Amino acid sequence: MSEGGSAATQLEALGNGRFAVRVAERGRVAYAVTYGSDTWVWVDGNAYIVSTKGTDERVVRGRTDDMAMAAPMPATVRAISVSTGQTVTTGDVLIVLEAMKMELAIKAPRDGIVRAVHCALGELVQPGLPLVELD
Amino acid sequence: MFTRVLIANRGEIAVRVIRACRERGLGTVAVYSDADARAKHTLLADQAVRIGGAAPTDSYLSIAAVMEASRQTGADALHPGYGFLSENPALAGACADRGIVFIGPGAQALEAMGSKIAARALAVRAGVPVVPGHTPSDQSDSAIAAAAQSVGFPVLLKPSEGGGGIGMKAVYTAEDLAPAIAQARREAIAAFGDGTLYIERLIERPRHVEIQVLADQQGHVVHLFERECSVQRRHQKIVEESPSPVVTSRLRQRMGAAAVALATAASYLNAGTVEFLVDGEGDDAAFYFLEMNTRLQVEHPVTEQVTGVDLVHAQLAIAAGEPLPWSQTDLAQRGHAIEARVYAEDPAHGDLPQAGPILLYREPSMPGVRIDSGVVEGDVVSVHYDPMLAKVIATGSSREVARQRLVQALTGFPILGIRTNIAFLIQLLNHPRFVAGEIDTGWLDREGDQIRAAAASEPDALVQEIAAAARGASRVDTAVNTPDPWERLQGVRV
Repeated sequence: MSEGGSAATQLEALGNGRFAVRVAERGRVAYAVTYGSDTWVWVDGNAYIVSTKGTDERVVRGRTDDMAMAAPMPATVRAISVSTGQTVTTGDVLIVLEAMKMELAIKAPRDGIVRAVHCALGELVQPGLPLVELD
Repeated sequence: MFTRVLIANRGEIAVRVIRACRERGLGTVAVYSDADARAKHTLLADQAVRIGGAAPTDSYLSIAAVMEASRQTGADALHPGYGFLSENPALAGACADRGIVFIGPGAQALEAMGSKIAARALAVRAGVPVVPGHTPSDQSDSAIAAAAQSVGFPVLLKPSEGGGGIGMKAVYTAEDLAPAIAQARREAIAAFGDGTLYIERLIERPRHVEIQVLADQQGHVVHLFERECSVQRRHQKIVEESPSPVVTSRLRQRMGAAAVALATAASYLNAGTVEFLVDGEGDDAAFYFLEMNTRLQVEHPVTEQVTGVDLVHAQLAIAAGEPLPWSQTDLAQRGHAIEARVYAEDPAHGDLPQAGPILLYREPSMPGVRIDSGVVEGDVVSVHYDPMLAKVIATGSSREVARQRLVQALTGFPILGIRTNIAFLIQLLNHPRFVAGEIDTGWLDREGDQIRAAAASEPDALVQEIAAAARGASRVDTAVNTPDPWERLQGVRV
């Protein structure tokens, strides 16, 4: 099994996703698993995603405007409250989705003008694609 | 009597019921949708029958499919679990028509309690206090607005056919009414196929305290004390406990008597829960009937932990015609139990439900901690169902011991591959207000965002080192140490 870590940290892979971690005098067991370009890490009740995507290995998945206006999961469009050319302010409800018995409001992440609406009422939309574009 | 029980549900509750049936020597039949062909509950039962596609309406909500599965397997009893068809009188009726024992109340009680209007009228007749409110027979926007005015703001809009907090909207001023009506109606139609709305006076800062009841076929009714369920997010419970930190023995007695009176008036059978809003504190605190849930509750384990009564066993015994083995005075609460619901959701982004593979899932095993779960490592959480993964129930001699245990259990419950609310739950359980027991149903909606922010932590140098080690170790580990369930997942390296 591999051993490593910085001078202050001792790490030992125990197998099956388990890692013995010792920092200074404190020992604990952490868990980690790699899936595609993401590595999920569990330490002390917190889960983290460390992504190797992009140029900097230390960059963790961020949240851009586009992500904010995308469906987080497959969902059905229940209401569209904006149309092209409309001025919106931060927090305005743009789209109402329904998934897993819950209504989810897609809100404007910033002030702007609606350039395009990429979904229709009743449509089953997939995650990752922005449903609304702002200028 | 019956010998083979079909469990018309999925997830942790199906697992829970299958185990109880087996403990009583009963055969078990699971039903599953295409999404659940290899789910924990499907694999656990003696027999499993595919009942349709992944969408609930094609499978777990289809009475025809469920009844066909019971015919095929010769099941002579049916346990509905919670959610799905559990409170649908048509399922209980279909069972009665085919001579199948429905493990729950009769279709009549389901109908009476399923309608908020009928339930409330029954409560009034039984002398149980109710919150001011009503369902206008004219459901136009203007009639609903008029009803809101007569009930008095703030008001709560609720689907008349609803439950689980779905579609409920609090409205503080007349100006906010129109959009709230539209949204509540939309959610009510989507969730229950009926947009009829109920308007009631909103009690500010109430506690949600519910009483568990059991009623046998011989006409005996007992209560198993209270569950405090005030920790709610948008009217959905996430942490429950028994006893309540504020219910005094006198108040407990008053509420228990009211719950028994209601169950008796309804000629209720089997397990049920009478939900109350509590306004104020002390022996003379006011309480109001909210609704009666005519099924097992998600949070039933906290009652089991403090009373020593296995509620699913009790349900099976009652359905088999056995009389309750205890009178009210035989029952007592001992110690304290707290349950936390672990959801696949992202607290950093509005608690959005998450779907995806569970790459790593290790339930903690420690004294005083019980875990009821419906998933295993390697499962894929689907978008089609409730995103609850597990319930963690900690029991101790005192509330503080139970609370500390629950924090320890959650801290040692690694789940990776899908975001969960565990860090949020830990932060919540350590919050001074929760520690002090000073909570009401609006607490999380007021202060939840601060708790979410405190729970969010960015990967530090240690996390980065572990991640790097995991990537380095993966080449070695996959060759020698890949557990079976993971082989179902593509692209996973451990």
